[in-house]
Amino acid sequence: MERNIQKNGLVNLVAAVLIFIAAFVVTYYVNSLAGQACSIFLGLGVLVTFTGWFQMRLEENERLEKLEVEEFARARGETALFEARDAEAFPAQRAREQFEKYFVPGFGVLLFLLEAGGAYLLWRWIAKTTDGIVPDRAMPSLSLFGIFALLLFLLGRFSVTIARLENFRLLRPGASFLLAGAYVCFFTALGIAGVKAGFPRVDFWLTRALCALLGLMAAEMLVTLLLEIYRPRVKGRVARPIYDSRLVGLLAQPESLVTTAAQALDYQFGFKVSETWFFQLLQKNLPVLLMAQLLVLFLSTGVVFIDAGQQAVLERFGRPVGVLQPGAHLIVPWPVDKIYRYRTDQIQTFDVGFTPEAQNAQAGIILWSVTHTREQNFLIGNRRPALVQGGNTDTNDTFKAPPVSLITVSIPVQFQITNVFDWAYQNADPTNLLQDLAARKVVQYLAGVDLNDVMSSNRQAAALELGAQIQAAANEHRLGARIIFVGLQDIHPPVAVAGNYENVVGAEQTKLAKILDAQAEAIRTNALAGAQAFTDVARAQAAQQQIELSAFAGAALFTNRIAAYEAAPSVYRQRAYFQMFPEATANARKYILLVKNTKDVIIFDLEDKIREDLLNLNVTNSP
Amino acid sequence: MNRNLLTIIVGAVLVVIFALLLFVFQVRQSEVAVVTTFGKPTGTYNQPGAYVKWPWPIQKVYKFDQRIQDFQDKFSENYTADSITLLTSVYVGWKISDAGQFLREFTGGSVPAAQTMLESMLRSAKSAVVGKHPLSDFVNTDPQKLQFKQIENEIESTVQDELLTNNCGIHIEFLGLKQLGLPESVTQTVFDRMKSERQVLISRAQYEGEAEAQKIRANADREANETLANARAQATRIQGEGEAEAAKTLPVFQENPELANFLLRVNALQQSLNQKSTLIFDQRTPPFDLFGGISTNTPGR
Repeated sequence: MERNIQKNGLVNLVAAVLIFIAAFVVTYYVNSLAGQACSIFLGLGVLVTFTGWFQMRLEENERLEKLEVEEFARARGETALFEARDAEAFPAQRAREQFEKYFVPGFGVLLFLLEAGGAYLLWRWIAKTTDGIVPDRAMPSLSLFGIFALLLFLLGRFSVTIARLENFRLLRPGASFLLAGAYVCFFTALGIAGVKAGFPRVDFWLTRALCALLGLMAAEMLVTLLLEIYRPRVKGRVARPIYDSRLVGLLAQPESLVTTAAQALDYQFGFKVSETWFFQLLQKNLPVLLMAQLLVLFLSTGVVFIDAGQQAVLERFGRPVGVLQPGAHLIVPWPVDKIYRYRTDQIQTFDVGFTPEAQNAQAGIILWSVTHTREQNFLIGNRRPALVQGGNTDTNDTFKAPPVSLITVSIPVQFQITNVFDWAYQNADPTNLLQDLAARKVVQYLAGVDLNDVMSSNRQAAALELGAQIQAAANEHRLGARIIFVGLQDIHPPVAVAGNYENVVGAEQTKLAKILDAQAEAIRTNALAGAQAFTDVARAQAAQQQIELSAFAGAALFTNRIAAYEAAPSVYRQRAYFQMFPEATANARKYILLVKNTKDVIIFDLEDKIREDLLNLNVTNSP
Repeated sequence: MNRNLLTIIVGAVLVVIFALLLFVFQVRQSEVAVVTTFGKPTGTYNQPGAYVKWPWPIQKVYKFDQRIQDFQDKFSENYTADSITLLTSVYVGWKISDAGQFLREFTGGSVPAAQTMLESMLRSAKSAVVGKHPLSDFVNTDPQKLQFKQIENEIESTVQDELLTNNCGIHIEFLGLKQLGLPESVTQTVFDRMKSERQVLISRAQYEGEAEAQKIRANADREANETLANARAQATRIQGEGEAEAAKTLPVFQENPELANFLLRVNALQQSLNQKSTLIFDQRTPPFDLFGGISTNTPGR
C-alpha cells in the first residue's frame, strides 16, 4: 500500500511535467495569453508535486529505518535500546526533520516569489502586448488543452480521492494542483474558443482572472508562512505541508469549502473550532445566507446616489426616461433600469496646441525661448516684410519657399454640458469630437491671419472669435455643450526662432536709444546755442549802452571843459598834459638825456636788442 | 419554513434574472442591434427597448453604436498643386447606416476593422484632393482665399462615393481638417526664413536708429548755428545802434575842435603809453626841462 502512494506521487509528477511541457509548447504555438498563465500554474504544480513526492520518499525511508531498528532491537531483546540514543543513529529521520525544518519553509518562500512574480509580470505583459491568438491554430490548440484538462482531471480526481486518508496528506498538494490545473486548462480552452467565436477580449480577461488567482495564491502563501511562525506545535500531531494550498484545494474541490475552512481553523487554533455552535450555525445556513446576500445585492441596484455636479440619464430597457438630479433615487433594479452619469455642472477643460508637462508646470517664468509645454507648431499666413518685397516682381522664383510661418499657441478651452441628452446620444465620444472641432477652428483661423497681427493687436479679438466659432461648431453638431472660455494664453513663434523675435525687440530698443541720445544731444546743442546767442546779444546791448553813455558823458565833460579851456588855454593844456604824463608813463622805462655836458662823448648802441624771452622760443620748421 | 420560503423567493428571482438574460436583450437609445439566427441576420432593431430572442447558440445579438463615431487619420505628407509638401490630418465623423450590412462586411461588426478600411480610403482621397490645391488654398493671409470648406467637401464626397460603391453600411456625417504641418526639413527652412526676416527687421531698426540720430544731430547743429547767427546779427545791429546814438554827441565837440583834438591826442597818448614801453627824453621835454637849471657832470677843478 505504501509503495502505491509513492508510485502514485511519481505518476502525478511525471504527468505534471509532461503536461506542463506540452501546454507550454501549445501556448507558444497558438499565442494564447491565458495559456501562458496556465503554463505558470502547471509549472507551480510540477514543483509542488515533486516536493510532495520527495517528502513522501523521506518519510518512507524513515519508516523503513524505524522498522529495521525495531527488528534489530527485538532480535537482541532491547526494545527501548535506541529510544534515548542520539539522533545521528537515525539518519533517515534526521534527514526528514532537516527537510521539514529548512527546505519546506524555503520552498514556501520560493513558491510565494514565483506566484507573486508570475502574477505581476504577466499582468504587466498582457497590458502591453498586442499579440492575439493565431486563428488558424485555434482549433488544434483548443483540442489539445481539452485533452490536457481531461487527463489532469482523471488523474487529479483519483489522487484527491485517495489522498483524503490521513497518511496520504503529502499526495494532496500535488493532486489538488493537478485537479485545479484541469480546470485552468479547461478555461484556457474556453478562452481560445471565445476568441474563435468572435470575442477577442475573452482571452485577455481570462488571463487577467488567472493573474488574480496567482496573486491570491501568493497572498495565501505569505499568510501561511507568517502563521506558521505562531502555529501551536502539538506533539505527535502531523503538520500540514506549507505548500499545500487551501485555495488550490478549494479550487479543485469547491464542495469542500466548509470542510476546508473548518480544517484551517482547527489547524490554526489548535482546537475544534468547527464544533462550536457558531460554526455549526454558519455551516447549516450558509446557502440561505448566500442567497440572501445575493438578494440584497440585487435590490441594492435599485438605489442610486447622484453626486453634486452630476446628472444621470435614466434608461428603462434602454429607452431614456428621464434625467436624475443630484441626490438619492429609487429605480427599478438591474437589469430593467440603468443610469449613466455625466458631470454636467463641472467645468471641463481640454487644451489645443499643447500638452501640459508636469515638470514645467512649476516654472515661475514662461519665456518664448524656453520650452514650457509639449508644443505643436501651427501653419500661419505670413505677409512678407516691406523690405523683403522688393526685387524683380516679374519672376515668380524669388520666393519659392512656402509663404507661411509657424506659430505655437496654447489654447485652453473650458466647457460645460448643458444638454445631457444631446451629449449622451448624438456622438459616441463627444469630448473627443469637441476637441477635434476646436482644433479645426484654430487651424483654420490661424491659416487665414497674419503672424504679426495675431500676435499683437488682434490677439483678444482672435480669442473671442475662436470661442464663437467653436460654440457654433458645437451647436451644429448638437453636442449639448456650452463653451465658457477660450484663452489665447500663449501665442508666440516656435522656440527655435523665438530668440530672433526677441532680438528684434532689442534692436527696436537700441534704435530708440540712439534716437533718444541724439535728441538729448540736440537739446544740449540747441540750449547752448541759445545761451550763446543770448550772451552775444546781451554783450552787444551792454556795449551799445556803454558806447552811448560814454559818448554822452564825454560830451558833457567836454562841454564843461570848454569853459576852462577858454579861460586859460595854455595853462589848461599844460595842466592836462602834466596830469596825464605821470599816470601814462608810470609803467614805462624812461631814459632822460641831459646834453648840457658837451665834453663827454655819449655812445648809443642803437642795435636792436632781442628780448630775452624771445631767445627761449623754440622754432620748428613749418611745412 | 421561513428559510425555505426565502430560498424559494431568492431562487425565483435569480431564475427570472437568468431567464431575462437568456431570452431578453436590451437596445439602448444609442445602439442598433442585429439578431442572427444560426449565423444569418434575421432582424435589425434601432429603437430603444427590450426585445425577446432565443438563447445562444440559436440566436446571437450584435450591438453597434449608432451614434456618430469620430476618428482621426494619420498626420501624412502630400504634395500640393504647387509642389510643396504638406502634412495634413483630418477627423471624420461616421455612423453605421446599415447595421446588417456592417455586420456582413466586417467580421463580427468590428469597428476597428471598419476604421482601418475607412482610413485607407481617407488617405487615398486626401492625397488626391490635396494635390489639386495650391498651398495658398490652405494658408493665406486673406481668409477669403482659403478653401478649407471646399477641400473638406471634396475629400468627404470622394470617401462617401467609395463607401456607397462598396456598400459597407457606413455613412460619413462630417469631415474636417484638423492639423496642418510641414515636414521636419521644410520646417527648418521655414525657421531659417523667419530668422532672416527678423534679421532684416533688426538691421532696419539698427540703421534707422543711426540715421535718425544723425538727422537729429544735424538738425540740432543747424538750429544752433542759425540761432547763433541770428544772435550775432542782432548784436552787430545793437552795437551799430549804440554807435549811431553815440555819434549824436559829435556836434558838441565841434564847438571847440582845438580842445577836442587836444583831448583826443592826450587820450591817445595816454592809451598808447599804457603798454610796456621805453621812453627817451632830453632835457627839453617837460617836465624834464626842469633838469636844465641843474649842473651835471661838471668836471671838478
